[in-house]
Amino acid sequence: MVDVTLAAVTCAHPSGTMLFPAMWVSATLAEPAHFSWLETGLLAAGIVISLALFFWRFGPILRNILHSKQDADFSLHPVGRRVWDFFWEVLCQGKVIRQRPLPGLAHAFVFWGFLAFALVSSNHIANGLQIGFLSPESSLGKFYFLFAAAWALLVAVGITGLFIRRFFVRPIWFGKKVSIESGWIAFLIFLLMVSYLGAFFVSPGGAAVKALWWTHTLTLLVFLPLIPHTKHLHLVISPVTVFLKRDGFSNIPPLSGDEDFGLVAGKDVTQLISLQVYSCVECGRCTEHCPAANSGKVLNPKEIALGVRSYLNELGSVSDVALLAEARPETAFANLLSMEAAFECTTCGACEYQCPVGIQHVPVIVGLRRGATNTGVWEDTYGTKLFLALEKNGNALGLSAMERDKFIQKEAFPIFDGTQEYCLWLGCMGGYDPKGREIIADFARVMKYLGTTFGVLKKEKCTGDPARRLGNDLVFQTLAEAGLKAFETAKVQKIVAICPHCVRTIANDWREYGIAPEIEHHSEFMARHKDRLPKQASGESIVYHDPCYLGRYRDVYEAPREMVRQAGTLVEAPRSHERSFCCGAGGGLAFLGEEQGERVSHIRAAELAGTGAQVVGTACPFCNTMFRDALAEVSTAPPQLLDIAQLTARALPKMQETGIMDQGTGEQ
Amino acid sequence: MKILVAIKQVPERDAQVHVASDGKWIDESDLNYTINEPDAYALEEALQLKEKNGGEVVVVCAGPERVTSTLREALAKGADRAIHIEADDMGSRDTLGVAQILADAMKSESPDLILTGLQSDDLGLGQTGVVMAELLGIPHATIIMHVEATGSGLKVKRELEDGWFQHVEMPLPALLTIQSGGNKLRYATLMGIKKAKTKETKTVQAAAATAPAIALDRVYLPEKQKKTEMLTGTPDQVAAKIVEKLKFEVRVI
Amino acid sequence: MSGVLVVMEQRGGNWNRMSFEALAAGQQLAAKLGVECSAVVMGEAVGSLASELGSKKLAKIITVEHALLKTYTSDAYVAALEQVAKQASPAYVIFPHTYQVRDFAPALATRFHSVLISDVIAMHDGPVFVRQLLQGKLNADYRQTGAGPCFVSIQAGTFRADAVEAGTSAIEAFAPSLDAAQIRNKPGELFRESAQTVDLSAAPAIVSVGRGIGEQENIALVEELAKALGAELAASRPICDNGWLPMERQVGSSGQTVAPKLYLAVGISGAIQHLVGMKGSKTVIAINKDENAPIFEVADYGVVGDLFEVVPALTKAVLAAKG
Repeated sequence: MVDVTLAAVTCAHPSGTMLFPAMWVSATLAEPAHFSWLETGLLAAGIVISLALFFWRFGPILRNILHSKQDADFSLHPVGRRVWDFFWEVLCQGKVIRQRPLPGLAHAFVFWGFLAFALVSSNHIANGLQIGFLSPESSLGKFYFLFAAAWALLVAVGITGLFIRRFFVRPIWFGKKVSIESGWIAFLIFLLMVSYLGAFFVSPGGAAVKALWWTHTLTLLVFLPLIPHTKHLHLVISPVTVFLKRDGFSNIPPLSGDEDFGLVAGKDVTQLISLQVYSCVECGRCTEHCPAANSGKVLNPKEIALGVRSYLNELGSVSDVALLAEARPETAFANLLSMEAAFECTTCGACEYQCPVGIQHVPVIVGLRRGATNTGVWEDTYGTKLFLALEKNGNALGLSAMERDKFIQKEAFPIFDGTQEYCLWLGCMGGYDPKGREIIADFARVMKYLGTTFGVLKKEKCTGDPARRLGNDLVFQTLAEAGLKAFETAKVQKIVAICPHCVRTIANDWREYGIAPEIEHHSEFMARHKDRLPKQASGESIVYHDPCYLGRYRDVYEAPREMVRQAGTLVEAPRSHERSFCCGAGGGLAFLGEEQGERVSHIRAAELAGTGAQVVGTACPFCNTMFRDALAEVSTAPPQLLDIAQLTARALPKMQETGIMDQGTGEQ
Repeated sequence: MKILVAIKQVPERDAQVHVASDGKWIDESDLNYTINEPDAYALEEALQLKEKNGGEVVVVCAGPERVTSTLREALAKGADRAIHIEADDMGSRDTLGVAQILADAMKSESPDLILTGLQSDDLGLGQTGVVMAELLGIPHATIIMHVEATGSGLKVKRELEDGWFQHVEMPLPALLTIQSGGNKLRYATLMGIKKAKTKETKTVQAAAATAPAIALDRVYLPEKQKKTEMLTGTPDQVAAKIVEKLKFEVRVI
Repeated sequence: MSGVLVVMEQRGGNWNRMSFEALAAGQQLAAKLGVECSAVVMGEAVGSLASELGSKKLAKIITVEHALLKTYTSDAYVAALEQVAKQASPAYVIFPHTYQVRDFAPALATRFHSVLISDVIAMHDGPVFVRQLLQGKLNADYRQTGAGPCFVSIQAGTFRADAVEAGTSAIEAFAPSLDAAQIRNKPGELFRESAQTVDLSAAPAIVSVGRGIGEQENIALVEELAKALGAELAASRPICDNGWLPMERQVGSSGQTVAPKLYLAVGISGAIQHLVGMKGSKTVIAINKDENAPIFEVADYGVVGDLFEVVPALTKAVLAAKG
């Protein structure tokens, strides 16, 4: 029986009093008092069958994962980071809620509800096996079952909301086909909750109690084997996936040994990748933020993960069949994993950033590219031109190194000789592109104003970033080793660069071949000295675009913003910080040919211009170059386009003819 | 088809050149070397012919120790074997001398086809292939854009002035000098480099140099450096100046 | 061995005009050395061509006529010239540096244990022959040291065809002994490639238009200049992106790479993506109103001015010069 006492609870509140009713249910969970041996036997049999069916599907999956290639570079350390990520992302559902608040919360309820139900379910089964351990009569039991009931309500509400979203709202990120199995799972979960809650409203000892009990039990037994057959496998493995994620963001693992060329065939797929693709819940958050998927390209990061999963399901993890299998169109995975898709990625990392179950898409895509490029299978006019230019000229643009020399002479940059504090790294854009050169020149002015000594290397080759992202390890290795040697010979201790790609590649990717001197981005440098740099209260509105390789890759969001605030009024783009939308140049794509579909740079340029800001502030010469033409084409009165170095430099006092500058405000 | 490709290692195109103190050649101390670009096209042609018709591609290069890196790159791109003709005195051999040592090394291989680039990026004489053909007594054709194997030999497409072309049928064995740009070059892959480690490079000693027929007396910077000449004046004046340049310097009028 | 022998080139009864530049070179060399200069013409029936040379200052004109010399083959030409050279015994053999000469002259020189000094851009006392090395970065002085005749081919434009000295000369026939079995190659007919609408890479001159043109209608201005020059019209990326010119006319990193004799950049700023497509051009002339435009870094001749004034003036001047 249920005694329902409505108690109004008032709550004192600064703005007045709020009244909300709380329902006190002084009720107990009605459980079957007695199970016959036949019932126990049936239950036991049911459990055995359910588990068998579970392992029948889960076994091969586990086998695929365990038989995959070992990850050569994997280490559990630092464990602290992993524990924190597990706590925040899995237990607190931090990413799930933050990036898609309402559905995320609904899912969080379901997840927390599942956790809360752990004891309930165990006790429930134990009862049936006549070894129940928690009595609804005990005070602990009373409390706990009511606690679980509150959760059951939240779960029921949550799952209903998610059901409505999937079947009626139908976000496009879920894909075109509606997933019927999701409907069934939602129904089963709902049934679990209802069959639990129902037990509070029936009189104990009646037939209804048994009926509810068996309903709940059968639902559980049916649910269990369904887990490995559907994307609900994530219930079991995604906590492990999140815990075991490869360290760092978008870290590309080194190749291991002479036979490793990247992800050529199934046998090259590593354990981490297998684990990750089996965790995919097909939520489509990766697709939602992918610049390629948002501009009419073939690439869809979700399909990359599902493609690899499909391959593993069809061919296992030791197969020789090529992953990018153009030649076998009848397979499911061939539709999802195409060479075209793999080479449309800008490596912006938005997919990886968003993934709530720990899938690291970028190393997979770069791995697929490696498999194609390192074996010569990728035949692309522009790609070949790029690799040959890097081989012959040491820069991505295929220009004579003398062009860089001319620029250095014109600007009278000192050559680094070991006495200066910083080595100013020009990069390909800074050394050869007219706009990149302007940025370098302005940043040099800033450094001179601050009295910071710097020099440029006599000879510079490309850091190898485009080769690295396109999967050409031969060119990348050559350039990385040459670069490391150049820094060592010149005895460089600190490097500052204007290009986030250079910074990332030197700081992270070169590690495969040696440790480079410490390097920072010019925004980090300038922000540190911002108090000595003159402010310009121009009142101009400046919308800042977070470069992928500075924001998501390096976690630097505030430093460039501080410089923007010094130059005018900061305006945020609709998609900013870790959600910043790529300019389209990354992943080597700035050097490849015509894009299909809409141009990524135009989409972002329209978004930036649409803020109405007078200036677009950038911190990457590639973003700058991409927006230069794009802004003019998406707007009749396009905003000005300036790098933060240019914004800062324009506030500097003009240099006197003798070259002696107004020194700043003195020593720091 | 057994194809021999004669390749040359030359200073990088971009290199800043300084005349050596004795004025006879350039200062080689700071130079990086690479494959002569037209030879890269010859190699590409050979590799494509092998892919189409089967057979073997052997690269041959004469020079000091450092040329082995260029041979290795060629192996990485797909050549099957390499022959290094060791000679430290290439500077004192003329075209005839170089062609002689190349021909000597190739004779024992009995190739079906010999390919060379049309000229070298450093000296640019453009003759070594033709001289080799003459020494070996085989027919040749130059400035070839396209090669096709026929039942009885070859059909090649030869480039002529002014956008004209000509097909030539030739018997085998023969020698061709290959024009740049006919094919798309392939990039060296990691897989290629790893495979190259297992491929054979044979070293032979070059015969002693004989007295050359021509001598390179000295090298020097040309008097006119490339400097932008700004033309000023009224539009008509400027137009007149440009026309003068077009007539006498550029020679398009 | 003495004297200078100039090898003239003809095809199908028409001179290759470069032969006259070689003739001028041969005459000047002979004059400097105080020796005779002769010319040789080969083909099936070259009598009328040879008589054109009758009004030039030459010791003699050797005609070499044979059925097997009607169509050029290296085997026939080398065999015939070898015989002529053995008989005439010149100290110097001068060729124009044509595609054909590149095909056979080295083989001819080999027969005399000599090496062709090819693509000469100047002759100095000695005689010393000047060539370009390393894509024009350096000049080099070459000298004959061997005992055989000195074979030299002259780069186009080094000497002026109209500098051939007038005079008188007589024709001397030479009958070569050639055998069809000697000729190993079978050359086919000459042909041109099938008409592509645009092949920028084959164009000797290109006029390229950039964003400075402003409006689509204004392109007609530049088109007229291109037509006047007999040049192909090309553009930088933004023009093609706007659809003002077809994509196949785009020069740049995502378009075509060209290396014409003349590249006339009109209203092009010189962004890196464009420069990489035309940096190989022999002569670059740029017209831009911004004196800091990067295009001027790679231009041989630059005009800082308003293209709407300069281009029409230039078109007029070009048409006038062409007559």
